[in-house]
Amino acid sequence: MNLVATEAARERAASANKRYLDVAAVTKRFGTATVLQDLNISVARSEFISLLGPSGCGKTTLLRLIAGLMKPDGGRIAINGSDLTQVPAHKRNIGVVFQNYALFPHLTVEQNVAFGLEAQRTPKAEIGARVQNALALVRMQAFAERRISALSGGQQQRVAVARALVVKPSLLLLDEPFSALDRKLRETMQIELRHLLRDLEITSIFVTHDQDEALVMSDRIAVMNEGRIEQLGTPDEVYSAPASLHVLEFVGQSTRIGGTADASALNGTASVETPLGKILAPLHDGSGVSGKVVLGVRPECIALGERPDANFNEISAELTDIVFFGSKTALHFQPPGADDRIQVEVARVPSGIAQGVALKLYWPISETMVYPAP
Amino acid sequence: MTTIEMRTQAEAQPRRRFFQLDTPAIMVLPGIVFMVVAFAIPVLILVADSFRDAGGFSIGGYRKVLGDPYYIGIIWNSLQLGLITTIGSLLIGYPAAFALSRAPARLQVLLFALIFLPLTVSIIVKTFGLAIMMRRDGILNWLLLNVGFIDRPMRLVFTEFALYFGMINVFLPLMILPIYSVMRQLDPRLTDAAASLGAGPVTTFRRVTLPLTMPGVVAGISLVFSISVAAYVTPGLLIGDRFMTMSQVMAKAYLNIRDFNLGASMAVVMLVIAVTIVFTSTYFAEPASRRGRKG
Repeated sequence: MNLVATEAARERAASANKRYLDVAAVTKRFGTATVLQDLNISVARSEFISLLGPSGCGKTTLLRLIAGLMKPDGGRIAINGSDLTQVPAHKRNIGVVFQNYALFPHLTVEQNVAFGLEAQRTPKAEIGARVQNALALVRMQAFAERRISALSGGQQQRVAVARALVVKPSLLLLDEPFSALDRKLRETMQIELRHLLRDLEITSIFVTHDQDEALVMSDRIAVMNEGRIEQLGTPDEVYSAPASLHVLEFVGQSTRIGGTADASALNGTASVETPLGKILAPLHDGSGVSGKVVLGVRPECIALGERPDANFNEISAELTDIVFFGSKTALHFQPPGADDRIQVEVARVPSGIAQGVALKLYWPISETMVYPAP
Repeated sequence: MTTIEMRTQAEAQPRRRFFQLDTPAIMVLPGIVFMVVAFAIPVLILVADSFRDAGGFSIGGYRKVLGDPYYIGIIWNSLQLGLITTIGSLLIGYPAAFALSRAPARLQVLLFALIFLPLTVSIIVKTFGLAIMMRRDGILNWLLLNVGFIDRPMRLVFTEFALYFGMINVFLPLMILPIYSVMRQLDPRLTDAAASLGAGPVTTFRRVTLPLTMPGVVAGISLVFSISVAAYVTPGLLIGDRFMTMSQVMAKAYLNIRDFNLGASMAVVMLVIAVTIVFTSTYFAEPASRRGRKG
């Protein structure tokens, strides 16, 4: 009996950890426009979640609601079981790294980092040491006395991270923190920040419209569109099994081919009539499609040549472009009667290939995705 | 990386100044010519007048203005007028400028027009309107009587209340405009950031909003003070001889008793006060504004 009781307690604790941040049925309207509609998302303790979506999809609004910088029109936001919906931002203890960092221009680096501790009336003796620790964490001790305007973008970002972390927030929110950095620096900072947050075991929510960033950094990705979460899953799940056409289009490269599905699905396989001929696609969980559909294929699944057997789809298309990327080369094909060009990635361009030739392409039927046409 | 950036900035600046040296010099020429004729020459005449009377060189005017308790009282009146008008305008203008800068864009245009409109009306018209409003049978007394605040009409015109009411009315836009222009540039994310770090509204105001809008406050204070300390029309119409100011003494000295030496001495004293105010406030605004920009 005792054993059962501890078991139950452990389970409760585990489920509480999984729902460390709990956003339930949150709705937000601006005037007549509904930006978020009954949105639900749970984040586990120490997890790093990305909110990925095009601008205007409501991801920043969700972030501001969690931070308490905006009030929802409905729903509930809780951290670790305590309801924060009515708690003002300055009493939530949620750290935010803003898009342009929002560092205080009239204060030095050190004073910026100390701001939160002073606002929360931390004993003076403690402030100095904690500020130094936070600056050491982001390797900015040498710049403690600098003015903000004398820092580069990457340095400002480090200060913003130190300022948000020094108060030991229960949750860290990051609003497109890398968007102002150039590509090289951005990639360094992504890895660096990911390591830092993992070491500190800080639960983090990261808003971005950059799919690569989301794939690189996240434990899980929430793909948002028009105020809803279309898919919530690991980077691998979101990439290899997009839940909707929008997710397919938004995450990673893909080729899309429109067609009409045959009403009679055979053995869980849909047969789709397209301008390129008949293409087969597997149907999951016994769902059926009929009428207008869109097929999707990832470029790395497509190979050049004739298909080895009937487990592959095969088409023929004209090569229009050879785009060299260094580590890989993309071949663009323009199939007759299709709007979308087909992209194929190869490590090396095979000999005897030139623009204008028609080639055969094939890919596994199992790697073909099918969605109802919008 | 920073050092490289800073060096390029440092290099870029003098080069730009060198390149632009000629054009601005030509552009400022008409202004300089006008100011010499319209301002420098009259001021020199004024200063000369303040040191001579019918019998030649004299500092009698200064002795009167700075030694006679009556005139010292008048200087004090003017300073008090400027000070109270400035403080009143600041207390009303700062929150107004804040609200204005945070209002939705369309409303902002409307409110901005409402603040600007009084500036287009002549001070005389405005002040006469106020005087009529504050008469015994005026609308203000009528309102207070009917609401039941008072049992019989109050004397309002020719009181200090009327004076400061009118002065703040005239000078308020001059306080709001510079504060608003600085406030509008204040990134609202800075106050969001302060809140996310645990700072309540009071701390956020004291440590973020106020220091960053200080340049506007200093500009508003120096503008309102230096003009209101020399106000002539509004005090003349709303309180008259009961509250003599430096401007009125000057006018009387020149127009009634024709004592140019006295008038000029008073004018120079006022000029020194105004210039001191402008320079000290610019001095205080300088580091604050450098801090306030950028970012």
